[in-house]
Amino acid sequence: MSGIDAVRKIVETEGQARRIVDEAKVRAQQIISQASQEAEMLRQEALSSAQKQREEILRVAKEKAEAEARQSDVETEQLLKNYRKLAEARRDDAVSKALELILGG
Amino acid sequence: MSESLDKLHNRILSDAKLKADETIREAQAKVDQIIAEARQRAQKEADELLAKAKLEAEAVRRSILSSKVRANRLRVLDEKNRIVQEVLGGVEEKLSNIAKSSRFGETVQRFVAEAVKAVDSDQPVVRLGFKGSSKQNLDSVSKVLPKGSKLVFEEDPVDGLGGVVASDAEGRIIFNNSFRSRLERLDSQLLTLIASTIFGE
Repeated sequence: MSGIDAVRKIVETEGQARRIVDEAKVRAQQIISQASQEAEMLRQEALSSAQKQREEILRVAKEKAEAEARQSDVETEQLLKNYRKLAEARRDDAVSKALELILGG
Repeated sequence: MSESLDKLHNRILSDAKLKADETIREAQAKVDQIIAEARQRAQKEADELLAKAKLEAEAVRRSILSSKVRANRLRVLDEKNRIVQEVLGGVEEKLSNIAKSSRFGETVQRFVAEAVKAVDSDQPVVRLGFKGSSKQNLDSVSKVLPKGSKLVFEEDPVDGLGGVVASDAEGRIIFNNSFRSRLERLDSQLLTLIASTIFGE
């Protein structure tokens, strides 16, 4: 092999080596780029799951509060009923006492 | 020479492959780091969102409950007020019909005496007016009046419910002792008395 052929072969080999390295760099860039997409997907999944949990938390809180509100209505109804009964039973006494106060006071 | 050239060829390619492998390894390591950081960041964002959701839920709960509790308190107050007003209605009815009661004479005398004393005049003018009363059953009033007093019998009940109004001769000093006026003067005591009698408060 002549000296020129040898140099040509080395130049070819170096070109081949550069391609190998360049291809690896492109591949590495692709891998990193895919990872960024995957990372964004992970973020979206986590946020979407958290968002669902948030809606559930709010739904449960609202339902619980509405149940407590209904209970408050029931208790209030009972209280009003008791007041009406008391008023019926004590009305005459209250009128008499008020009259005493006005006439005597 | 050919042999050493082959070795050089192989060496160059082998170095390139090593460098390529290293590049891929580094990329893989960076990927691991990117994913780990992304997971951590996503978890943090999700945790923040959930913490905020819990506060939001508590605010929703409080808002629903407090507006209900407020509305129910108002209902209770309205009902209590209605009951008290109903009792006051009964009281007014009794007062306007007091002329039929056995204590009428004594009550009128006392009201007149109070009013005259309050006016403190030598020539007081006393106006009387009760539903269903006649001049005859009010005549006893003149017994408690000082000399020089003037007694006026009104046809209609004074202030709507009946009562007594005394003034000096010039009408500069007036003491209104009508039932309506007494109800107004005793308003706060009356409400307390009625509420405590009915509701035990």
